[in-house]
Amino acid sequence: MGSSAPGSIRIRLFASLREQAGWAERQWLLEQPTTAEELWRTLELPGAMDAVRVAINQRFASAETPLQNGDELAFLPPISGG
Amino acid sequence: MEQPISIQIRLHLERFEPLVSLQQWEQQLLEAGLQRAAACSSFIGRVRAGQANASSASAVIALELEHYPGMTEAELQRIAESVGKRHGALACLIEHRVGRIAVNDAIVCVAVWADRRGPAQRCCQELLEELKHNAPFWKREWSADGSSQWIEGNTPL
Repeated sequence: MGSSAPGSIRIRLFASLREQAGWAERQWLLEQPTTAEELWRTLELPGAMDAVRVAINQRFASAETPLQNGDELAFLPPISGG
Repeated sequence: MEQPISIQIRLHLERFEPLVSLQQWEQQLLEAGLQRAAACSSFIGRVRAGQANASSASAVIALELEHYPGMTEAELQRIAESVGKRHGALACLIEHRVGRIAVNDAIVCVAVWADRRGPAQRCCQELLEELKHNAPFWKREWSADGSSQWIEGNTPL
């Protein structure tokens, strides 16, 4: 953690986003420093990222946060609880 | 000296009876040594019955609640700590269903103990609004014809 050495992260999708993308989770090799925002484009995830929130290691985070080896990144579609 | 807030968070995989939950929660607080609070506010949310003018095929027969195991519980805890502290609450309870939920069954139960009705009611309302907007839960409506639709956003107040 905290190093820029190559490693991998786990990416998770939920609810409508998971169904539109057709996958729930995958491992991603971190060959170079990247962010959630860049991965959203690289993975060609559906729709605009404006409506989606990002969590890193199960905490809300900025989409511009540099990702670290071992991180769990989640893209969260609009929340509708309660 | 500031008293720590007693917080109880619980996710239910199966149907739960909120009135029983409330009674058990109060009993646990008393058994833990807390004095019964002068003000208690609570809210129970249930699955709304299908709209009267909807066709029988499109009538909603159930909701499905998805969550993010681990993060959802942690966010609920953070919300209760932050909102409870801001209102000077003595104790907060949040119980929430996940999975498939039938019409009229409980989805959420929130309760607050405080010294006075103002903080109790305001805290209870804010807890509910916070969790509706910031705890990772996603609702899907299931219709009688087997179709389903993800709900994005919340119903009006």
